[in-house]
Amino acid sequence: MPIAEPSQLMTRFVATVPGRIAARLVVIGALLAFWQFAPGKALRFWMSGPVDIVARLWSWILDGSLWEHLGATLTAMTLGYGIGTAVGISLGLVFGFLPKLHRVLSPYIAALYAMPKIALAPLFIIVFGIGIESRVALVAITVFFLILNSTLDGVRNVDRDLTQALSLMGATRSEVIRKVLLPAALPWIFTGMRISVRYAFTNTLLAELISANMGIGFLIEYYSGMFDATGTYAAILVLVIMSVGLTEVLSWVERTMARGHGRA
Amino acid sequence: MPPSDPGTMAKLRLVGASKRFAVHDGELEALRPVDLIVQPQEFVALVGPSGCGKSTILNLAAGLLRPTDGMVFYDDQPVTTINRSVGYMTQKDTLLPWRNAADNIRIALELKCRAMPRDEAALRVAQIIELIGLKGFERHFPAQLSGGMRKRVALARTLIYEPETLLMDEPFGALDAQLKLLLLDQLQNLTMLRRMTVMFVTHDLGEAITLADRVIVFSARPGRIRTIRSIDLPRPRDVFKVRFTSEFARLHEELWDVLKDEVVMGTDV
Repeated sequence: MPIAEPSQLMTRFVATVPGRIAARLVVIGALLAFWQFAPGKALRFWMSGPVDIVARLWSWILDGSLWEHLGATLTAMTLGYGIGTAVGISLGLVFGFLPKLHRVLSPYIAALYAMPKIALAPLFIIVFGIGIESRVALVAITVFFLILNSTLDGVRNVDRDLTQALSLMGATRSEVIRKVLLPAALPWIFTGMRISVRYAFTNTLLAELISANMGIGFLIEYYSGMFDATGTYAAILVLVIMSVGLTEVLSWVERTMARGHGRA
Repeated sequence: MPPSDPGTMAKLRLVGASKRFAVHDGELEALRPVDLIVQPQEFVALVGPSGCGKSTILNLAAGLLRPTDGMVFYDDQPVTTINRSVGYMTQKDTLLPWRNAADNIRIALELKCRAMPRDEAALRVAQIIELIGLKGFERHFPAQLSGGMRKRVALARTLIYEPETLLMDEPFGALDAQLKLLLLDQLQNLTMLRRMTVMFVTHDLGEAITLADRVIVFSARPGRIRTIRSIDLPRPRDVFKVRFTSEFARLHEELWDVLKDEVVMGTDV
């Protein structure tokens, strides 16, 4: 049996699951160690260090402020997402049923859809103040247009013959919507809802960065304004953890839905 | 069936009804002005070459199309919107792809206008599935059914709510001969029992003579009525044997002579 080269042994070790995890730990450990020990006194001001950052995070956990800000971000995001989705689906179905109304309004919808909604943030702050309402409004309007468009796509793809068949049977408008339009548009609506989650998250953060009194974005903005690198990095760390969590939840929902679809 | 007795109200009346469609280089005349009266409980078969406007007449009767000229009356009321008194089985089956066969058949019974208890609806669905020979396929989705089976599901879905008028556009086109006879028999029984009025579009002259009180032969496009022939075979007819009677043969020959020319002309166009 030939003796393996050390580099070969290494490659084989990394190919195994525990090996891969160990390698990842080595990489992050090295980076953290470098971050902790390499910078001199001057750089430390800008770069902080892992130990300080974790200690700061720990202090936020202890005094409960982390949960307050995390809660504010999640609340703004989910409220805005929920309102935007509900209104978007409803209006999409209404337009699907009243194509003439939709044709009249479609240039305005297209114009508003194309506009980056974050530009409305200052306006909403004037109208609703720097409380959570302005963020909810911004997220809702962003999600609304995305969902409206995917619902419209879905409704447009519904076979007219199907809705006619139901009308001939004596179905009312709302029955046609419930029994044909909505189920037919559902795959498009789900796609829109999946895409919107990321937009809701990003725009909540952006709104908090622009002007807010609460939230993770507010923490980042606040500490960087105070030239407090440790606080800034600690808030960014929270954001990283949130993003990973959100991605995990989303892909779990997608897997579950894909399985449900396969069965139907 | 007494021919247009002035005392009785026509179920369906086309008065000079025509249809032209705008196409890219002008107009397509689908239907020349047609006058036609269908009596209550009458079974009318429309035969003619492809594209002769038979389906257009059904669409006019259902209120899915408005005539370019002329008028369409149902129960002496002008048809101006979707006609909810008819059950329309279109050439293309309009089954909902996300509902299985049984759920598709049940859908008309779920509507508010004829709401019924769940178990009664379930019973009627089971009965009609038995009737059209789809037992064992209740849980299959339309995409998992053959063309002929989808036709039968569409037929069941239309028959189950017993509309007073049935419009059928080549309902049995994709079926094998034996099954077709069975379903023709069921259709005759049900429409007689429920006193339905029927307008039935078909390519199959034998099918038309077997079922209809009157057979209407259309000319090639642009469609107009060539011949109207009353079929005075006694009812109920034995759909399995009636085609071997001399009366049937005589009618078939007479109508085929008319239809033949039109089919030849139709293929020329």
